[in-house]
Amino acid sequence: MTEPVEPDFDVIVIGAGIAGCVTAYQLAQQGRSVLLVERGEEPGSKNLSGGVLYSRGMEQVFPDFLTEAPVERRITRNYINFINGDSSVAVDYRDARLAEPVNAVTVLRAKLDPWLAAKCEEAGALIMPGVRVDRVLTEGTRVVGVQAGDDELRAHVVVAADGVNSFIAQDVGLRKKPPQHHLAVGVKAVVSLPRKTIEDRFTLTGDEGAAVAAVGDCTEGVGGGGFLYTNIDSLSIGIVVRLDDLTAKKKVVTDIFDHFLEHRFIAPYLEGGEMLEYGCHLVAEGGLDMVGDIVMDGMVVVGDAAGLTLNTGLTVRGMDLAVGSAVAAAEAVGAALDQKNTSRATLAAYREKLFASYVGKDMETYAKAPHFLETDRMYKEYGELLADVLYGAFNHDLKPREHLVKVARGSLAHSPLKIMQLVKDGIAGARAL
Amino acid sequence: MKIVVAYKWTRDPEEASARPDGTVDWSRAKPGLSTYDPVAIEVARQLAAETGAELIGVTVGDKGVGTPLACKAALGRGLDRVVTVEDGSLADAGRSELAAVLAEVIKHIGDVDLVVTGDSSMDVAAKMVPTVLAGELGWPAVAEVTSVTGKAGELRVGREIPGGAQVLEISGPAVLATSADAAAPRVPGMKDLLAAGKKPVEHLDLAALKVSPQNAVMTVTGRSLPERKVRKGQLIDTADPAQAADELLTALRQAGAL
Amino acid sequence: MSVNAWIIVGDQPTVGNLVTVARSLGGTVGAVVAGPRSVAEIVASSGVDKVVWCNAPDDVPAEANATALADAVAADPPRVVLAGRNPGERVLLGAAAARLKAAVLTGARSVAVEGDGVVVVNAVFGDIADETVAVSGPVALLLDGGSAPSGDGASVPIEEVSAPPLGVRVVETRTHGFDQVDLNAAHRVIGVGRGLKSKEDLALIEALAVAVGAEIACTRPVAEGLNWMGKDRYIGSSGARIAPQLYLAIGVSGQLQHMVGVTGAETIVAINSDPNAAVFKETDHGLVGDLYQLVPAITAALK
Ligand SMILES: Cc1cc2nc3c(=O)[nH]c(=O)nc-3n(C[C@H](O)[C@H](O)[C@H](O)COP(=O)(O)OP(=O)(O)OC[C@H]3O[C@@H](n4cnc5c(N)ncnc54)[C@H](O)[C@@H]3O)c2cc1C
Ligand SMILES: Cc1cc2nc3c(=O)[nH]c(=O)nc-3n(C[C@H](O)[C@H](O)[C@H](O)COP(=O)(O)OP(=O)(O)OC[C@H]3O[C@@H](n4cnc5c(N)ncnc54)[C@H](O)[C@@H]3O)c2cc1C
Ligand SMILES: Nc1ncnc2c1ncn2[C@@H]1O[C@H](COP(=O)(O)O)[C@@H](O)[C@H]1O
Repeated sequence: MTEPVEPDFDVIVIGAGIAGCVTAYQLAQQGRSVLLVERGEEPGSKNLSGGVLYSRGMEQVFPDFLTEAPVERRITRNYINFINGDSSVAVDYRDARLAEPVNAVTVLRAKLDPWLAAKCEEAGALIMPGVRVDRVLTEGTRVVGVQAGDDELRAHVVVAADGVNSFIAQDVGLRKKPPQHHLAVGVKAVVSLPRKTIEDRFTLTGDEGAAVAAVGDCTEGVGGGGFLYTNIDSLSIGIVVRLDDLTAKKKVVTDIFDHFLEHRFIAPYLEGGEMLEYGCHLVAEGGLDMVGDIVMDGMVVVGDAAGLTLNTGLTVRGMDLAVGSAVAAAEAVGAALDQKNTSRATLAAYREKLFASYVGKDMETYAKAPHFLETDRMYKEYGELLADVLYGAFNHDLKPREHLVKVARGSLAHSPLKIMQLVKDGIAGARAL
Repeated sequence: MKIVVAYKWTRDPEEASARPDGTVDWSRAKPGLSTYDPVAIEVARQLAAETGAELIGVTVGDKGVGTPLACKAALGRGLDRVVTVEDGSLADAGRSELAAVLAEVIKHIGDVDLVVTGDSSMDVAAKMVPTVLAGELGWPAVAEVTSVTGKAGELRVGREIPGGAQVLEISGPAVLATSADAAAPRVPGMKDLLAAGKKPVEHLDLAALKVSPQNAVMTVTGRSLPERKVRKGQLIDTADPAQAADELLTALRQAGAL
Repeated sequence: MSVNAWIIVGDQPTVGNLVTVARSLGGTVGAVVAGPRSVAEIVASSGVDKVVWCNAPDDVPAEANATALADAVAADPPRVVLAGRNPGERVLLGAAAARLKAAVLTGARSVAVEGDGVVVVNAVFGDIADETVAVSGPVALLLDGGSAPSGDGASVPIEEVSAPPLGVRVVETRTHGFDQVDLNAAHRVIGVGRGLKSKEDLALIEALAVAVGAEIACTRPVAEGLNWMGKDRYIGSSGARIAPQLYLAIGVSGQLQHMVGVTGAETIVAINSDPNAAVFKETDHGLVGDLYQLVPAITAALK
């Protein structure tokens, strides 16, 4: 494959989110000339994320990630809360094994992304903040560079790391506009609170952290869930709800978020806090279905742009998958540059590496999750059912106590859920998650 | 001809918050080019393009103002080179001190014909650094400048005054503070930013500049939150505008506001 | 009788507030006028103890007398120099501050003499916090000038100085056709924001202003950008700060930079069609609705 014009860079990466920064960093480390273009004035300024990062992948790239990077807390407490109007049932899972070795940490993108960008710069990549790539330049079937405003720059390889909408991948026909039922919308806020208050409210010590997942009335019955994560001296709180369900139920996402913030089982955590940030962002939820073509002549697609997000029902994962895809992409792009052949066939090694890694494996494991999560019952009746069961057990109304199974059956009789559905959902859930 | 643009690399108070004890939390504020300084750069750039002048950016301040990121952000907007004074001791410097340092930098550069500045800095918004700077240099200063044409020694300067506008003729070196809407700043493109990385940056040592000391010493002895009137926050039902109007007027009469 | 405070004056004799502040600091209060003789004459009756006027050719703007003014101030070095927020006065204050090597403060809420020094409560960073600053040595303060003296007070003699002006000449002066206004003198003020759809619709606001007895002011984009009014009419951190009995914000979203200009208002009323507009957080009476319906209704109710 010949490229007539000598390019300005070996690689141009579009988007300085996690996927883009990690790709650019590794390629710069290999000694390639790398340009990283970011539309935000500052990397991270437009990025928003729930904030629990499964950190092992990052540690492969930055061995000192946990001590050097701006991480907030190590997650040692997972708290799953089924919330109804005025009852709630929770599973409180704490495990010291989660702390050593560290499994997951909370991060704030406003701090993490600039740190990553600085790492790229140290490694020798050139960063251009405040530049929005309008389109990629193509010659025949090959991507040869990018265009922003009146300027064009060329590279042997373009990496599209431009996030969930990826207009870049759509523009060159690699991806279709994601169907509505594969998209969710997330609203997230950061609320500041004194460190001590957070540690008291969540019973944490030192740099331990808690991740609260909430399902049920917190989204007013719309498919999705809420989350509440502890940072050092702030909380990340948000909801992620399915776009199609939102439309069908004619709800407004910000209203649902307000409802969540004011919910009697959530509000006490936030009391006295001040809202520092607030934003909305799309989340890809299609699972494996969303991952389309991610390689073409002269271009690869990484991170959210490649559809790499998982909604397991209890957590949204995307940042660690972005890291995994960046690792696979940097290896494949590096090898292709060495071979002086950046055709689709050579770059296809990226896809192979991706699917051989934890990213591909996990995407396959959770392949059925999206469909399971589309079940309405998840968001309403289950929480109520659980609460009714426990109400029967704990409400000492002077009637003789009944066996718990009987209580459960009694509750089921009042619940709109049919036994068969319960069994089916149970099986589907176990398979999907 | 040599034109200097004084620009500030600083933080936006919109992204800061005051704590109950009156201290300011800047931890979420990202540094950037002060809001109105790109206007100054653009006005100066257009004049430099017409006259073939050299365009030199100058910034002085705390650690960070001389980083490659900061310098490139300014250079990408069309400056030929940048001169910085980066010193931790300038973090709490007052307007006069900053102006005095800027004056020494301008003397160091030598043969400067014109200094262009922004309207007000986004953090302090004093609108005073350019005027004290002019005082230090013994040059005339003009604020609210909307246009500059001509050449060194024969500048024609348009400016706004309360109630109208004026055209001035300036025969020697001067400091011009541009009005916030004097020009629409260009967004730097990829080629500008690529070129910015290759332009010269000179870092001056504060101690070597021999800035003469101030006669005044400022000590912050207390911090507090501004007192705010407690507002009633009453909403008036507006379903029937006439009735809403009556209700409002009654409330205002009671409050003695009418 | 050495001067304790110098008031710096350019083209406008709007020094009422400066005289009040300077007087409160005790000692002799002087004024240096770099603008026309007529301004010096008005200032002479403002309650100051002495006036120095910088004599210069007619086609020279006040700013060109910066050196002469700094010389006059430095000849009798004060504890405090004060100037109003006009562009011209800022330039003159800067020249004096540079000459005195004085501290410059621009957000003073209060000024007091304590011992040998001056203590200023100074609003900082868009007024989000206040700092109490103790200054030893000369202080230059940029303050709201206040109104012009009525002219019926006793006059003090005017001393004349002259020095070669700096190289600036006025070649043309145009008025922009907007009436000038002293918002600080108004008891009631209506603030217009971008909620108003066109300049013609100002007629609606004017009718209300007449009925309420209010001055019309605006947000920054209405004056700068849309150009519907003079810049002296916009309120906020970079515009006028006012403390009227009543402030009526119409079609104003209520951003920090605007609202700091009216924190001193006794009563604030807001009309905005967006129930989530920030302005409602800082109002006494809020009307959520269309200004095109509500404003005429209020005007009618006043008649
Ligand atoms: C509410 C919410 C909660 C979430 N919670 C979690 C969580 O707890 N854990 C987790 O692992 N994941 C979570 N995710 C998912 C996670 O945020 C994403 O998977 C992750 O950000 C993907 O990284 P990325 O680098 O691919 O994309 P992004 O972070 O979206 O970065 C893309 C970058 O490209 C830039 N860009 C876009 N277009 C252009 C252009 N044309 N030119 C130049 N630059 C451009 C953007 O400005 C941006 O900086 C959450 C998502 C949301 C919305
Ligand atoms: C450094 C800096 C300094 C600044 N200084 C100042 C300053 O001193 N003063 C200042 O004002 N601004 C200042 N600004 C700008 C400020 O941040 C805001 O952008 C500005 O005040 C907004 O003006 P607005 O309310 O008129 O317009 P918008 O924010 O556009 O608000 C218009 C409002 O009208 C409402 N509306 C629309 N139609 C109707 C209708 N039919 N009926 C009723 N309501 C309607 C809308 O809901 C909206 O809330 C500054 C900004 C910066 C960065
Ligand atoms: N530290 C600084 N370095 C360079 N220029 C400055 C600095 N501070 C202020 N300026 C210039 O002076 C203008 C007005 O600033 P200020 O007086 O702080 O409102 C700014 O727009 C800049 O052009």
